[in-house]
Amino acid sequence: MPKPMIEVTQLHKSFGSLEILKGIDLDVHQGEIVVIIGPSGSGKSTLLRCLNCLELPTSGTVKVEGENFADSSGRYNEKRVAKLRTEIGMVFQSFNLFPMMTAVENVMAAQVKIRKKSKEEARKTAEKYLKKVGLAERMDHYPDQLSGGQKQRVAIARALAMEPHIMLFDEATSALDPELVGEVLKVIRELADEGMTMVLVTHEMRFAEEIGDRIIFMDKGMIVEEGKPDELFNAPKHQRTKLFINQVLHPEAEKV
Amino acid sequence: MDILSHLDFATAIKELTPELWQGLLIALEATVGGFLLAVVLSVLIAVGRLSESKVLKGILVVILEIVRGTPLLVQLVYMFYVVPLLISLVAQFFIPDYQFQLNPLFAGILGLGINYGCYLSEVVRAAILSVDKGQTEAALALGYTQRQALWSIVIPQATRQAIPVFGNYLIMMIKDTSLLAFITVNELLLRTQAYASQTFLTIESYTILAIAYLILSLPLSQVVRLLEKGFSKHA
Repeated sequence: MPKPMIEVTQLHKSFGSLEILKGIDLDVHQGEIVVIIGPSGSGKSTLLRCLNCLELPTSGTVKVEGENFADSSGRYNEKRVAKLRTEIGMVFQSFNLFPMMTAVENVMAAQVKIRKKSKEEARKTAEKYLKKVGLAERMDHYPDQLSGGQKQRVAIARALAMEPHIMLFDEATSALDPELVGEVLKVIRELADEGMTMVLVTHEMRFAEEIGDRIIFMDKGMIVEEGKPDELFNAPKHQRTKLFINQVLHPEAEKV
Repeated sequence: MDILSHLDFATAIKELTPELWQGLLIALEATVGGFLLAVVLSVLIAVGRLSESKVLKGILVVILEIVRGTPLLVQLVYMFYVVPLLISLVAQFFIPDYQFQLNPLFAGILGLGINYGCYLSEVVRAAILSVDKGQTEAALALGYTQRQALWSIVIPQATRQAIPVFGNYLIMMIKDTSLLAFITVNELLLRTQAYASQTFLTIESYTILAIAYLILSLPLSQVVRLLEKGFSKHA
């Protein structure tokens, strides 16, 4: 077994007295696609945000490619965290594109500022990734001139342009109009086919089933069940998993 | 009615206008200098107040309270008459008989800049706080440090929001340069006073002065309105 890309050990996260994550253990391997599902408030987004240290763990460790986010004394040094984050791309529910920059400038910004690339080089890379997400025509548009699906694809290109080894998707399609979901999922699927290591939080169960190598069901801050999509969706072991999947796949049916 | 028949606007306009042009140049110098200083200070104060350091925050709050709790005119007078004395006092420990002097215009620029910087810092602070947290998070996720995210992602957006408000303060500052008359800066008001007292054309002189300020600030208000439109794009 190769070394895991992400290693989470006994991760706890509290906001004040509210414990959101209650001891999570999770490994993600090279090229693996892990999809986290669960009811809202289950802590799945918080877990994802802990993976690149947007939320600092209350206790426990998160390692990326064998490197701990905390330094040897257990402190979170800002420079160290920032450096590790460059290996992890993140896509947000609300896109978070920089509004005063065009699409191509959005994709260039961090390459120039963080990777210290020249503008020409950054532009080339940006064009490559915008082409990849199918937005070559829209490069010089500002975010407010793009549709939700286009914005999210720019956001994906922006993350990819840093050439990360891992991609995190935090409900990347939840803020989109239904007819725009497909174009974003298509891009994510292509990434999956290329062997990118990915962790996704999503409400798109069909997509999760189709794309995931492993599905993790979370509830109340804990991993209740994990397994291959086929097993988890068709033969869940736990009652809570069963209930959740039933409700999501058949929202019109009465509660069991 | 006797006064009315003696009004002599023609003479006043003819003689006072060149004076006012001269005064205007000085007022503009004071405004440009004062406002640049105010903008720089406002961003620094705003960032300082949003920092983690309690000491820095405390010091800044005290300064803000002092500046906002005293009249601008008093601050200008203090800057021109008192500050040089204090500096001389300290300097005399090292160099006997040293007399520090502040050029009136320079004192005015400092006074205006500090005063406006404090007020503008509230505008900048509010603008920084109004930038969506997702912007910082997106930058952090790309490997920016907090500081880099603040200066290259958040502050540019905050500034765009603040610019129309800045415009209004700029117009206010132009008008407030009239206070510099009290610290012997030869701007419009001081020149008008001198002219009125020589010619006794009191009504004429001050009316012309008021109109001069109006002519100056009305078009600028329009410019600010245009700026507002321009900067609401892509925000």
